[in-house]
Amino acid sequence: MTRPRLELVSLHKEYDNGAVVAVDGIDLAVTAGETIALLGPSGCGKSTTLNMIVGLEQPTSGDIQIDGASIVGVPAGKRNVGLVFQDYAVFTSMTVRQNLAFGLAVRKRPKAEITRAVAEVAELLGMSDRLDARAKDLGGSELQRVAIGRTLVTKPAILLLDEPLSNLEAAARLAMRRELRRLQSEIGLTIIYVTHDQIEALSLADRIAVMHAGRILQVEKTARICERPDHVFVAGFLGSPPMNLVKGAIEPCEGSVVFRHGGLTLPLGAIADFIKPPEGRFTLGIRPEAVRLVPADGAALSGEVLLVESRGADAVLTVEAAGLKLKVVAPAGAHPGEGQATGLAVDPEALVFFGGDTNRRVDLPLAARPN
Amino acid sequence: MTDITGTTGMTGIAAIEKEAMALPPAAVTAGGSLPKAAKPSRIGLYLTLPGQIVSVLVLVVPLLVALYMSFTDWTPTRGSLLAAQLVGIDNYSELLVWDTRFIYAVIRTLCLSVVCLSLEFAFGLGLAVLFLREFRGKSVLFSAFLTPMMILPVVVGYIFWMLFQSNGPVNQMLEFVLGPQHTVEWFRSAPFAVLAVIVTEVWHWTPLFFLILLSGLNSVPENPVRAAVILGASPRQVFWRVVMPMLKPVIIVAFVIRSMEIIKLFDEVFMLTRGGPGSSTETVSLYIYKLAFNDFQLAYGAAAAFLVLLGCLAMIHLLLTPVRDQLLAGGR
Repeated sequence: MTRPRLELVSLHKEYDNGAVVAVDGIDLAVTAGETIALLGPSGCGKSTTLNMIVGLEQPTSGDIQIDGASIVGVPAGKRNVGLVFQDYAVFTSMTVRQNLAFGLAVRKRPKAEITRAVAEVAELLGMSDRLDARAKDLGGSELQRVAIGRTLVTKPAILLLDEPLSNLEAAARLAMRRELRRLQSEIGLTIIYVTHDQIEALSLADRIAVMHAGRILQVEKTARICERPDHVFVAGFLGSPPMNLVKGAIEPCEGSVVFRHGGLTLPLGAIADFIKPPEGRFTLGIRPEAVRLVPADGAALSGEVLLVESRGADAVLTVEAAGLKLKVVAPAGAHPGEGQATGLAVDPEALVFFGGDTNRRVDLPLAARPN
Repeated sequence: MTDITGTTGMTGIAAIEKEAMALPPAAVTAGGSLPKAAKPSRIGLYLTLPGQIVSVLVLVVPLLVALYMSFTDWTPTRGSLLAAQLVGIDNYSELLVWDTRFIYAVIRTLCLSVVCLSLEFAFGLGLAVLFLREFRGKSVLFSAFLTPMMILPVVVGYIFWMLFQSNGPVNQMLEFVLGPQHTVEWFRSAPFAVLAVIVTEVWHWTPLFFLILLSGLNSVPENPVRAAVILGASPRQVFWRVVMPMLKPVIIVAFVIRSMEIIKLFDEVFMLTRGGPGSSTETVSLYIYKLAFNDFQLAYGAAAAFLVLLGCLAMIHLLLTPVRDQLLAGGR
């Protein structure tokens, strides 16, 4: 494994002498060239974390290291970390060229170097013909480019993006997302990307760190995080729609175990016999994509379709079965309509369990099933 | 602005006369034949009528009378204004070509304005920047710093007249610090009289700059400042390259307000020096006052006043040019 470029070591941030804990012990290692999305609802500490990395705020405790060296105590402008603000914060009184040159101009670099760097970045962002436009006349996505370009000119080791797309309209957002992807691959930046939009996180990041209430609950490759969430919060936050979460109990039953919730009984198969069977309260997570619709006759679990929300290629069905309202994703056209009965089938492998008290994922020691 | 008020006032009167004749038959014969939309606007007209009449009487009429007067050779000792002889633009050409006292008064006022406004701006900006930080007694000091602005100019003039007396506190302090040979006869030497006027004016009006610039600084958006810090700018660079450009409209508005006032500088100078020694502190306003009320050359004074008015309009127009779009654009 490559050495982490940026490392956050049990980073804490408290306000008002500990009355408010914004960031509650974060550990995160970002490798060079990687894009990590910090994903979480508003107020979970994402922006505070960014502000600490960039140097606008000082951590209460913990350490921030770039290439192994601590940067806590290094002033904001000397950390070689760039930050792009959600509202761009472009200098509106200047031209695009002056904005791009700002970072080098304040460091009193030679004119030739500034001109070359500005031209390079303008080329990269496709803004070469807009260099003399006044920043206040620019539109949303152009402002965004200037904000990113202004940072890139200073060649930061790490680029932090704070909700960079949320002020753009839908079409510009898609275009800018592609643009960011292209930039990532062209210049191989190390990027930390803060967002509350999981689609953005899934499409742009290599790994996603889900934050909630000042903590990172899980850091995982984007491909896996929806399937194997570590925490009930992650399960209920990621995916569209997110996982179905059912609180219930696991009980032994004739040599195997079953999950019970009210009228619902799900056989989970045999438990490896040398292990004490798990018992007690659990939360069951079922991905809407993992539920199959089967004919109602003879199905172990059947219910009534309450609502069909079409999404084009597929549809989200709300099915009431065994007293639960389950979300199911089914291909368009191949599902029963509202008010009709349907059977449901779930593969035990697709089920995820979380401890009833800890809310953390528990991998049940299920015996290998004959295929 | 006065023109517009004047015209609406007059159409208002005309409209009422018309309606007074038209309304009774219409009301009797054809009930609601008047367009409905006209009624509320008529009511608005009636309600604003007293105000419009007053503004016509106290603004437009005197202005027109003065304008007419400025083309005559009238003085109060010669009877009716209407009987006075029309002299064309003689008053104006006399002022602009031959009256060196007027021309010097204009130049003196402009120089005083430039010096005073620069000092007021510098002190006001410095204080405003200091007030961005937290410190003990901030709110008390804030009120204290704003107090001079609330004192009547005549009173300020009187206070400083007392302070600058030959045996006044300023001289006593100079004597205490530098010795008895360093006291100054403030109002008997031209440079010191000018200095006294400048000190008084700056003391009096720095708070206005302070107040306007402080509110401007407080409304500067945070993120561009933070972005500049992250990009490596020093506090000084952040201030001059990022904050000041964003303050520009506020600064210009402050200068416009103060320019309009200081061009009319009268009370403090009148109380301190009455324009002396000689005419070394004579401002345009003071000169016009003397023309009108010492020499009774009212027509000539009116011409001078109109020239000042035109000059003021031109100056403010020029001052506002760089930020007009920004101020009128609204939302952005």
